[in-house]
Amino acid sequence: MTDLAVPQGVWRRECLAEVRRSWRLPQFMVPTVLTPAAFYALFTLALNKSPSPAVAAMTLAGYGVFAATGPALFGFGAGVAMEREQGLIELKRVSPMPAGAYVAAKLAAAIVTTAMAVALIDLLSLVAGVRMPLANWAALIALHLLSALPLALIGFGMGMRLGGKAAVAAANALFLGSAVLGGLWIPPEMLPGWMRIVGQLMPSFHLAQIGRWIVGAPTVGGPATHAAIVAAMTAVAGAWAWTGWQRSPA
Amino acid sequence: MLDLSAVATLAGVTKRLGGKPVLDGLDLAIRAGEVTALIGPNGAGKSTSVGLLTGRLTPDAGEAQLFGLDPRRPAARGRIGVMLQAAGLPDVMTVREVIALQSGYYVDSLPVAETLELAGLADMAERRCGTLSGGQARRVQYALAICGQPELLVLDEPTAAMDRGSARALWATVRDMADRGASVLLTSHDLAEADALADRVLLMDQGRIIADDTPAAIRARAGGAVIRCRTRLAPAWASILPGVREAGMDGADLRIVVAEAAPAARMLLDADPALTGLRIADATLEDAIAQLLSAEERVAA
Repeated sequence: MTDLAVPQGVWRRECLAEVRRSWRLPQFMVPTVLTPAAFYALFTLALNKSPSPAVAAMTLAGYGVFAATGPALFGFGAGVAMEREQGLIELKRVSPMPAGAYVAAKLAAAIVTTAMAVALIDLLSLVAGVRMPLANWAALIALHLLSALPLALIGFGMGMRLGGKAAVAAANALFLGSAVLGGLWIPPEMLPGWMRIVGQLMPSFHLAQIGRWIVGAPTVGGPATHAAIVAAMTAVAGAWAWTGWQRSPA
Repeated sequence: MLDLSAVATLAGVTKRLGGKPVLDGLDLAIRAGEVTALIGPNGAGKSTSVGLLTGRLTPDAGEAQLFGLDPRRPAARGRIGVMLQAAGLPDVMTVREVIALQSGYYVDSLPVAETLELAGLADMAERRCGTLSGGQARRVQYALAICGQPELLVLDEPTAAMDRGSARALWATVRDMADRGASVLLTSHDLAEADALADRVLLMDQGRIIADDTPAAIRARAGGAVIRCRTRLAPAWASILPGVREAGMDGADLRIVVAEAAPAARMLLDADPALTGLRIADATLEDAIAQLLSAEERVAA
């Protein structure tokens, strides 16, 4: 539907405003950016006596997805639920702003935060000796930034259905589940069998597998399968988010 | 039914919320160039009607229209400005940033400086919204409603949480918007507000409109005069005087609402030569509305 009544540049301005807003919340921004790098440094680099670049590259694939999880689940899921409680979404809804611009702005803020966290991890991996062709770096960074999308849609659907406190609790549970079961912290090969099976329900597992393929680490199944599964999960999450937006009275 | 001068209409609208019927076949038209006040007790259906007209709610049956369009379309919402009752503001953004962002949603918005001026916010433009008082935040909400130069301004309880001075200042700017040709729909608990601003009052009760007229006509229809005095005469005695609609005690005073003041006052003075403190005033809009609502209840019972 084309609506000529909405002026040019609404989407861009909404995105800029949202990114600026998240900058002004350092209590959210700083831990979200630093935690993935701290975990990567601890688990992969410090705990291994002499981390091989191959191991550092393999875990990098998962930690980049982990870096996208925080902004997506907390910024989106818990954030949207709180904004709804504060009547901020109500304000947008009675304005002629297209609903898509709201989602795009939140996504832009999540991706900017993710980009900073990913940049830190990538620097650490360079220190650990990870080397690969530029094209692979580009593909890996793109994958990690785009990981925010399916996770953010899940967060959004959650935020439109739950109250602020419940959404924070749910975001925490999903955050841990996604990281542990999806094999982002500890490689899935080292997890017990049942965890590996449950982990396959997480988009994080499949995203990390694509990452492994990009860095040349061993994978379970081909990248096309994982990409198809992620696409399907994203579509379902998108539909779930959309019905949440439609149904919610406020 | 088709009213060409209407900017917003509900036609035969039924709406249930939480399984409870709130509106049942409501017809309502907001006419261009008028200030319309929607008043009535809590639960009468005012906010629901506003929600339907602004596209936040969808009718179960019947049709809502805004400038002839479905109110849920951004194109329709681009021509209205809405001040909500319970909306928040983003704490970490400044007043200027919030207004600039909102102005960008409209094709023909006012310059930000002018909006700030109109809403009385010029001296707090750089403050973050999180630091504003309740009344100041309401003024920002008002600024967000007017910044797009809307053809229809919808104000849901605009002066709740404002002191009298701020409320009067806001009334003046609403009148100003109306004089420039905007239509205004406001809901209010404050009948002085409706009396000061509205060209037309719609009185709602239990999901229906029970009166639709100018404030003066509604006052006259129900009202007449209110007599107060200090006397030994009982309300029961006073209630049989000619033209008395209502008689009761208000503190130590006898208070009578009457169609025509003179005959009743004369009989009171004759009956109690010791009567003091006699005052006669026009019935207020509040008196008139209270009567209309109680008459409605008697019909319903």
